[in-house]
Amino acid sequence: MGEEVSRKEDRRFITGRGNYVDDVKKPGMLHCELVRSPHAHARIEEIDGSRAMALDGVVAVLTADDLLEYDLATMPTLMDDTQDVLVNDKVKFQSQEVAAVIAEDRYAAKDGAEKVDVSYDVLEPVVDAETALEDDAPLIRDDIEGKEDNHCFDWETGDEEATDEAFENAAVTVEEEMFYQRLHPAPIETCGAVGDYDPGKDKLTVHMTSQAPHIHRTLFAQVSGIPEHKIRIVSPDVGGGFGNKVPIYPGYVVAAAASYVLERPVKWIEERSENIQSTGFARDYDMNGEIAATEDGEIRAIRVDVLANHGAYNAAAQPSKFPAGFFNIFTGSYDVETAYGSLSAAYTNTAPGGIAYRCSFRVTEAVYLVERMVKVLADELGMDPADVRRRNFIQPDQFPYESPTGWNYDSGDYETALDEALEMADYEAYRDEQQRRIDEDADKLLGIGISSFTEVVGAGPGKSCDIAGVEMFDSADIRVHPTGKATLRVGVQTQGQGHETTFAQIVAEELGIDVDDVVVEHGDTDTDPYGLGTYGSRSTPVAGAATAIAARKIRDKAKSIAANELEAAEEDVEWDRESGEFHVAGAPERSVTVTEIAAGAYMNHPGGEEPGLEAVNYYDPPEMTYPFGSYVVIVEVDRETGEVEFEKFVAVDDCGNRINPMIIEGQIHGGLAQGIGTAMMEQITFDDNGNVTGGDFMNYLLPTAMEIPEFETGHTVTPSPHHPIGAKGVGESPTVGSPPAIVNAVVDAMAHAGVSHVEMPMTPDVVWKHLEEAGLERRPAQNLEFELAGDAGESVTDDD
Amino acid sequence: MTDEREITLTVNGTKRTIEVEPRRLLVHAIREDLDLTGTHIGCDTGNCGACTVLVDDEPIKSCLTFAVQADGSEVLTVEGMEELPESAGDLHPLQEGFHEEHGLQCGYCTPGMILAGKALLDENPDPDEDEIREAISGNLCRCTGYQNIVRSIEYAADELEARAAADGGTSIPDRASNASATDGSDAAFDCGLENCCGGPAAGADGGESRE
Repeated sequence: MGEEVSRKEDRRFITGRGNYVDDVKKPGMLHCELVRSPHAHARIEEIDGSRAMALDGVVAVLTADDLLEYDLATMPTLMDDTQDVLVNDKVKFQSQEVAAVIAEDRYAAKDGAEKVDVSYDVLEPVVDAETALEDDAPLIRDDIEGKEDNHCFDWETGDEEATDEAFENAAVTVEEEMFYQRLHPAPIETCGAVGDYDPGKDKLTVHMTSQAPHIHRTLFAQVSGIPEHKIRIVSPDVGGGFGNKVPIYPGYVVAAAASYVLERPVKWIEERSENIQSTGFARDYDMNGEIAATEDGEIRAIRVDVLANHGAYNAAAQPSKFPAGFFNIFTGSYDVETAYGSLSAAYTNTAPGGIAYRCSFRVTEAVYLVERMVKVLADELGMDPADVRRRNFIQPDQFPYESPTGWNYDSGDYETALDEALEMADYEAYRDEQQRRIDEDADKLLGIGISSFTEVVGAGPGKSCDIAGVEMFDSADIRVHPTGKATLRVGVQTQGQGHETTFAQIVAEELGIDVDDVVVEHGDTDTDPYGLGTYGSRSTPVAGAATAIAARKIRDKAKSIAANELEAAEEDVEWDRESGEFHVAGAPERSVTVTEIAAGAYMNHPGGEEPGLEAVNYYDPPEMTYPFGSYVVIVEVDRETGEVEFEKFVAVDDCGNRINPMIIEGQIHGGLAQGIGTAMMEQITFDDNGNVTGGDFMNYLLPTAMEIPEFETGHTVTPSPHHPIGAKGVGESPTVGSPPAIVNAVVDAMAHAGVSHVEMPMTPDVVWKHLEEAGLERRPAQNLEFELAGDAGESVTDDD
Repeated sequence: MTDEREITLTVNGTKRTIEVEPRRLLVHAIREDLDLTGTHIGCDTGNCGACTVLVDDEPIKSCLTFAVQADGSEVLTVEGMEELPESAGDLHPLQEGFHEEHGLQCGYCTPGMILAGKALLDENPDPDEDEIREAISGNLCRCTGYQNIVRSIEYAADELEARAAADGGTSIPDRASNASATDGSDAAFDCGLENCCGGPAAGADGGESRE
């Protein structure tokens, strides 16, 4: 614990020996290519696969009609909706799955997909939530009985009456509209699966890119009718998840169903454009935020209204009782008396999703809202945004703190983290520099953005949190072998977060075993204990807790074995965390190591105990964990081009006790880069015909090494009081916390000229338009044109 | 499209002969015909660089190259890194750097990154941070935020320099000078690999089998 142990999993990845889904090769394996809709909204008149079937190598063309026989043409989503696996009546978003071609190799499958003839009767599409909810909008979900509009659901939180009253009586109110654009997690490995039904064993094995293999097994069983003990889901090495690999996608179902029908393994690997256009998107919240405050900056109430775009199906991957996720954490790090939030969600002719991309179930949106609004309030009052935050922070002695929307924050010390971040960023000096540039009318403006966020991760307590009815516990199964080495199996599934190392560190700490002597296994539902998977930064809070508790169970038993070995009474035996040994109280030289104890457990076990040394824990967390942080971002805004450059990027995180600082730092770096992508580059858009206009890496821009600055990371430690090792989740904090800091910085650069908000992604043209509106734009010197016109040759030479 | 052509590639020092359709992408030939699955596919537009390999010492995106175009070429994939002379029988300094500096998480971009790093260090043994960032700007990583990847490549540059210095040289030999470099025992440099650096030619069955 606390050591920068380098990663046990690295060796196979740096030598090309990882085992990702597309690396899986089975005898007789076929390949699947999905035929996708070119239209956003259209009725299917006919699907003709005969030209495809005539091609060499094509084995089958599957349509919804083929799946109907197995009741698999549609599947339930995690939000009590139904999604088409293959469509035979009406497509509802561009790139939706219409048919599947199964062939001997991937090239033949692709040839076949091009030869499947689908005739469409094109309907009017609607891609934005506001239009979708208008009275005359075309009806998308005519498959839902009695449905007459595109309204998906409504949701509210907090005390409306008290909040309205606070606003009526407030000395100061501010309001801002902000759109958290549609994003995509875009892991570098796309989604894929290899379905392999073995008729001899009557068993279905599916290798798939799954962040939650056990829950996927249960859902496969429920949908397919194959009993759960005859389904094995294997999530091998996963090339990044970021929430993209939590939902079940049609491709998985088709690969599994095709292998069942054809009795041969079937591989489905989607391409990048399919990944962006059809798998779970993130965000797409159109938010209106309001703050009521006193004249000296004390926040009295927060009011939020949201219009949410959920796409053609409500397939948001989140706990079933939370249709808007944990968005109601939007009062943030502040002690606010009352708050109210309301939300309407709409169906549109776009791909389903919403919960993904390090969002912790909509906490990205909540934190963006409140941290932007605090900046809006500070600017309205002419106060330093750091001071407004300090004035309103929940104080350390207020924890556990019950928020006005019902969260029970475990622990925090917000001001210390903010002060640390401001000091690291040299905040005061940059404030002076900012003013100097304004005074001197400099070409580049300086902006300073702050975000002091509170996360909520570790879903979660079974009484409130479930996925499709399964409570959100997680698990660990530790077996100590006769030679003192150990195997830990967990119900979570790493996608690069380093679980094979950090979970071994927890076992090592609790049992006095060397980290190298613990192997961590995950992702195979035949062998690993049932868990809910990895997302929502829940691994450390839930499975990390289970691991510590299982280890402590082993320690309890080890004590009796130690007593037996030491020929002492059990109550006289003590465990020494420092040395990792058991010894007789008052006689540290009479000690046994875990290796000796393990041998004793198998070779000389005490009467009254079972032989062996192993334990299981299924951990139902009593509460969520609430990590927090303060980020300070300093940007330069070029008044001539609208380009934004990062001058300084400081991130101070507090995730309680830190298992492996090196791995935490890597998580922070990656999450901050995604925050920069979010704020500056990434966006899925649609044209009026419902065409995706940000659907591949030519148009959906991920930051490269050139756009990402050096990060300066710091930390404080405020342990979670309810967690067995005082650790909180952290993986998603940087992506939750950084976008508002970045936007606040860019707004801050132009705030003196009245700019109050800039929408993401803040591309140069967007920023330049704000510069122009505020009268801050700088154009090339007039005489430059003359020079170029009059002496073009020389100018060009000069440029070269 | 069943018109297949026979091509021969020297992959990680071993001559391999395969039959491919002209349209077959090099990345699929590497992954599926040669079973070297360290090279990955992350996009369909040539942007991500997860498929980066060296063909005749040049970094290329193997998803943008047909296998037939590489006929007669030398191909280096991540699986061949450990066998390079500077790896001294174990991990290559770049691989070591990625491990030591935590330059990888999910590992999916890592093989391509390592090859991009190799191409850079072959050209420029002592790159500064900006040069490293530019050299890997064709390689997308979604996990690390790049900072530790930059450190990893710096680590490798330092390590390669240290090893070269320990060998009595003043700088690491680049591939072009490998042929004339000496390792102290042989006049002609020989990395020990078949069909590489003057090593022995592949045996009769060397074309299809490889550890």
